[in-house]
Formats: sequence, structure tokens, C-alpha cells
Amino acid sequence: MSWFRENWRIAALVVLVVASSVALFAPGIGASANTSGQQAATGDPTNLNYGLELSGGVRLRTTVTGVTADGVSVTPDNEGEIATRISTALDVDRGDVRARPATGSVEVYQNVSTSSLRTTLEDAGYSPDSVRRGVTQATRDNIVSIIGSKIDATGLGGAEVKDIETSAGAQAHYIVVEVPGQNASQVQSLIQGRGQVTLDAYYPGSNGTNVNATVLRGDELVEVDQPKRDQNGRPFVPVQLSAEAAQRFTGDMTQYGFTSQAGISNCRFPNGGYCLLTKLDGEEVYNASMGPTLARTLSSGKFVNNPSFRITANSMTAARNLQVNLQAGALPAEITVQNSYYVAPSFAQKYKPLSLVTGLAAAIAVAIMVLLRYGEPKIAIPMVFTALAEVVILLGFAAVSGLALDLSHLAGFIAVIGTGVDDLVIIADEVMTEQVSSSRIFQSRFRKALWVIGAAAATTILAMSPLAVLSLGDLRGFALVTILGVLIGVLVTRPAYGDVLRRLLTTDT
Amino acid sequence: MSWFEVPDVDLSQYSMRQLVAPPLAVLVVALAVIGGWMAATGAPVSPGIEFTGGSEVVAQSSAPSAQVKAAFDAEPTSFRSVGTNGNRYLATFQSENAPGISGDTADIEIVQSQEVSPTFGSSTQGLALLGVAAAFLGMSVLVFALFRTFVPSIAVVVSAFSDIVVPVALMNVFEIKLSLGTVAALLMLIGYSVDSDILLNNHVLRRSGGFWESVDRAMNTGVTMTLTSIAAMVVMTIVSYIFGITLMSSIGLVLVMGLVTDLMNTYMLNVTLLRWYKFEGVAK
Repeated sequence: MSWFRENWRIAALVVLVVASSVALFAPGIGASANTSGQQAATGDPTNLNYGLELSGGVRLRTTVTGVTADGVSVTPDNEGEIATRISTALDVDRGDVRARPATGSVEVYQNVSTSSLRTTLEDAGYSPDSVRRGVTQATRDNIVSIIGSKIDATGLGGAEVKDIETSAGAQAHYIVVEVPGQNASQVQSLIQGRGQVTLDAYYPGSNGTNVNATVLRGDELVEVDQPKRDQNGRPFVPVQLSAEAAQRFTGDMTQYGFTSQAGISNCRFPNGGYCLLTKLDGEEVYNASMGPTLARTLSSGKFVNNPSFRITANSMTAARNLQVNLQAGALPAEITVQNSYYVAPSFAQKYKPLSLVTGLAAAIAVAIMVLLRYGEPKIAIPMVFTALAEVVILLGFAAVSGLALDLSHLAGFIAVIGTGVDDLVIIADEVMTEQVSSSRIFQSRFRKALWVIGAAAATTILAMSPLAVLSLGDLRGFALVTILGVLIGVLVTRPAYGDVLRRLLTTDT
Repeated sequence: MSWFEVPDVDLSQYSMRQLVAPPLAVLVVALAVIGGWMAATGAPVSPGIEFTGGSEVVAQSSAPSAQVKAAFDAEPTSFRSVGTNGNRYLATFQSENAPGISGDTADIEIVQSQEVSPTFGSSTQGLALLGVAAAFLGMSVLVFALFRTFVPSIAVVVSAFSDIVVPVALMNVFEIKLSLGTVAALLMLIGYSVDSDILLNNHVLRRSGGFWESVDRAMNTGVTMTLTSIAAMVVMTIVSYIFGITLMSSIGLVLVMGLVTDLMNTYMLNVTLLRWYKFEGVAK
């Protein structure tokens, strides 16, 4: 037990190194286990995940075009009216204006000035608290989900779409799209490409055959929202029509018999019945039957007052696909690519061994310097091993956490080796100034060395922390790895090196 | 036996003025270079496309370099070969969209490309400046908190400042553009620079023993640290240059310049400030 108390740092170091090695090399461990197919294909023996820079692919950072007024008294009753008024006043399409009762905000998905939106709202009798560039969280979530579905639909694996916030700058939000193995223009056209969508009525004609008639065009669906669940837990997609379309839709549906007893809840596509078909580029992608509630509002003529209906789906995935199809893959607002990065997979894969060789060469340079300086292998060899142990622990951490390694992280590893060796030199010199005989003298010297190391580590961590918080893309990974490495170094590995030296240099333990 | 000994330099044989003049002169020259650069170009150091907006491609081709350069639809603002195997070229363009390739293009392959819009670039630049400023400020506050005396603390801060400014001036001289990689290197310099300065201050202020004895011991350790780091960075710079990993070679080069500056600043400027503090500042 006392042995453990004396040597717990060495024990902790050994445990961490072993655990990290297991995490790195044992199959089926870590976040890369679920992408093992990919891993087998690249022939990488470790469990490490690699980011775009080391595996190849595309990263687009985009901003959403739009202006948003917050603090507007929007209610479910006046939302349509506000949107129509603003779109007319600003001379933009009705589909480019969105009033949201939930957040009390009005968005315009066009490049209009903030002052003109404010004036327009005030002219209409509303008093917005603030008007800013950008769009609401709901719109961004919607865009992220649409892009995600579109990329999924093409079967490209490993893609990632996310909304990130930066702490400074004019555009505070970026939608980041990462797709491995594709090139930038392919991904860009995939995201921005759109098709032709129509809603067709499918019903039994007078001569016994089934009739197909287009009742709504894509641009008449002014709002298609993200899927929600009704009180019974059924997923649905809310759709809102323009005023003229609502008038015509009411007439058509009544005329074709959808509101009659036979028309309600009676879709047997493609074997007859009454269905509302969603068609993308002429292909049927979804069919739904008339609901009793909608049929009632249609026949009573109340539909035109609030021209919205729900299309229910059997699962959330189906609802999401339907939503993307209803919008013909179009995004509610335009996105602008601010930054694109592409690296060919074959080229990126080469970086892996090359940067490994670079790192090894730097480590060998350190080892040679240390050996030349101290001459004594008792000091130099544990020093080199301790420095390498820090890297192994960091890599083990990366494997377990599923961190996608990029060149910036590798730069961080090098920074860690650098500060690590500095600290080990401080420890070695401190304890060797005079002949160390007793463990007690050793301890006091060692504590003095730790003060310097702790102070230096604190400054390094402090210097790196702004980068870890600011969203500076590539530099964030670098800063996080450096901070983590310094922490592991100060708390575990560097003190353990002190213990190793004590065991090697003193006689009374 | 050790084959590499830290050279025994007897700093006490020089006067304070003799010791402090070279680092101050270097700092003044560096500030002049940066100031001149700023007057001429409007920026203290030429920012790369990550900060100005623009595009950059790496093309791989066995064709001669002039032919590759001419194949682009727009004239590159800079065009150079990367790596040492001679068939990879880095071309930078002012336009936000990388131009296409026309003409006899059968064997030119774009293996890497990056496009940055000017708005994104300027917001990145703002963030990077904020990051460096915040890091430097944080370091200064912590150093003052650690030593709680003005002269030793300001010595560390001035050394660190010079360790960053001199490499920035050298970047202008060697035409290295500021990129996210070089910003990372400048931040790493804050960490490395402070290591040896804190070590020196600690030995002089918190240990028993004479001033010169303490300085000697701190130097023995500190010079070893810095030389080891320089060796590692020189190797990294050369190897990554050969392989054409531009991010690593630019980080390495900036660090080598900064670490060499740090050797001079710590053992000439910082030592002298501490010496003045020990022998004259305190006595008053």
C-alpha cells in the first residue's frame, strides 16, 4: 500500500498509457467502431478518426441570406396577413417572408436592408424590438435538416451538416457542410439544385378510369414547415398555400369529389380512390388521402381564411423526406458559400504517413539533443519515453472521443511534445544540481521544479483558451489539443517522470 | 559524459547597457519594418487568403511549371512549387472562385483547393487578432499575478512581446504570409517564450544564492530547453518542406525564428532588467 502511495504517479502513467494503447489499437473500441467499413477500406490499423484534411472531401461554410425582426406581436391569426403585407410592401415573393408566432419574429429571406424591414413593419402598425441580419434558429434548423436529407438521399456516407455560432464578426452563424470524398462543385450543386414539384389530385373519372390533375404548383406552397407530431404522436408536415391557390384548391377539391363521403380517407393509390399525390419531376413520391377535418373546412369555405393543411406520414423519416420533396429540395432561404475547402482523398491520405514521419523525425531530434546534453541514459531515456507517453495518451483520448484528427491537431501534438520536453528538462536539471542522496531532498527540489512547470502550464493554457472558445475553425482543434496535452502533462506524466528519476537516483526508497 | 554542454557565458563581464542594447535594437528594427510595411500595405504583415478572401489550389502535374501556370484561366497572384518531388504547385488567386483550367489540361489534377469570401476572411482576421490580443493580455495578467512585482513581470511581458514582433517582421522580410498556421505558431511562441522567462525569474527571485549563480543555473536549464525545441522545429520545418506539408513547415519556420529571438531576449534583455531590479531597483 505504501508502495502505491509513493509511486501512484508512475502507476497512473502506466495505466493511462496501457489504456490509451488499447483504445488506439483494439478493434471495435471508440467512436470509429461504427464506421469500421470505411476503416477497413483505408487499411488504417488504429481506431483514430481523421478529419477532412487527412481523409479527403469537402467542407463548405455558408451563411443564410435574410433579415429578421424580433419582438413583433405575431399570432396564429395574423401571421398570414403580416407575411402577405410585408411581401407586397417590400416587393418580394410571398414565400420569402415568414412570420413566426412562436418566437414573435418576422423573417425576410432576401437581401433587403434592416431599416426597410423596420419601416415596413412600423407602417403596418407593428413595433419590432430589434431588426438584424440573419435568420431565426427555426429557419437554420430547417435548412440543416433539408441539406442533411438531400445528402442522405444520395447515399453519401459520413456527411455532417451543422449550425455553428461564432462569437464575433458580422455573420454570427454558419451552416457547415462536410462531405467526405466528394468535390466542392458536386456538393454545391447537390445542395442548391432543385426540381419541379406538383401536387396532383388522383380520383375516379367519369368514364371509370383514374384521373390525374395538377391542383397545386411548387411556388403556390408558400410555407412548408419542418415535420411535427400531432397530439396522437403522428408525424405531419404543415403546408400553407397562397391566397389565390387556396381559392382554386377549394374549388378543385370540391369539384373532384374529395369532400364527399366517398372522397374522405379513401386513397388506394395506384388502385383507385381519392388521393393527393406529391410529384417531383413528374414522379409520384408520396400519396395521402383527404382527412375529415380538412374536408369540412374546405366544404364550409372557411379554408381560404387560413389556407393551411397537414400531410401526415407514418414515420418521422418519411415526413422529413416528404418535406424535402414538397420543397423540391429548395431551401427556404438562399445560402452563400463563404469558405470552401476541398482535398482529394488520394492526396489527403498521403498526409497521414508523411506527418507521422515528420513527427517522428522531430521526436528523434529531441532524443538526440537530450542524450547529447545529459549523456546519462538513466535521465535521457525516461525523458524521451515520458514525452512520447503524452502523445500516446492524447492519441488514445482522440480515439475514444472520436475526435476527427486534422493537420491542426497534429500541430497541437508537436506543441505538446515541445512544452513537455521543456518541463522534463526543468525537472531533470532541478533534481540534479547536486548529488541527490535522500528521497526527502529530492522531494523538496522536485516541488520547486513543479512551481515553474505549473506557472508555465497555466500561461500556456491561458494563452490558448481564447482560441478554444472563438470559433476560428482550424485553430480550435490546435488549441484544444494543446490545452489537453498540457493538462495531462502537468497532472500525470511530468510528475511521474520526477518519480522515475527519484527511483533511479536515490538509494533510500 | 555529455557531449553537448551549454556554453558558459559570463554575462557579468558586460555592462547593463552592452547587454540590453542588442535586443532593444532588434526590437526597434523589427517595429520599424512592421511600421514601414503597415505604411506601404496597410497591414502589419501581409495576410494570406484565409484573411483577405481569395482562392488557392494545389495542382499536380508532370507538365513543366510554366505550362501548368498558363493553363489556369486567370493569372495567379502567386505560383510556386511545393514539396521537393517537383510536380505539385500551389497557385493563389485573388478571385473568390478558383478559375477553371483550359487548354492542354490532360494531366493537371487539382488535388486541393480552398475558396474564401472576403467577408468571411475579414471576420476570421478579426477573430484571429482578438485571439492573439486576448492570449497576450491573459498571459500578462497571469505573469503579474505570479510574481507580484513590477520589474520582473514586465521583463517577461516585454520579452514575450519582442518574441512575437521579431518573427512577424521576419515574415515580412521572407515573404511569409499570415495564415491560420502562422497565427498558431505566434501563439505557441507566447507559451515557449514564457517558459524560459518564468524559469529565470523563479531562479533569481525565489531561490537562495547569488544573482549570477542563479542566472547561470537558469541559463543552463533554459538554453537546453530552447535549443531542444529549436532542434525539433528545424527538423520539422525541413522534413515537412520536403513532403510539401505547408502548414507544418510555416509553423516550424516561425517557431524557429521566435525561439532564436527568445534566446537573445531572455538572456540579454530579461537578465539585465532583473539585474537592475536586484542591484539598483530594490536598493533605492
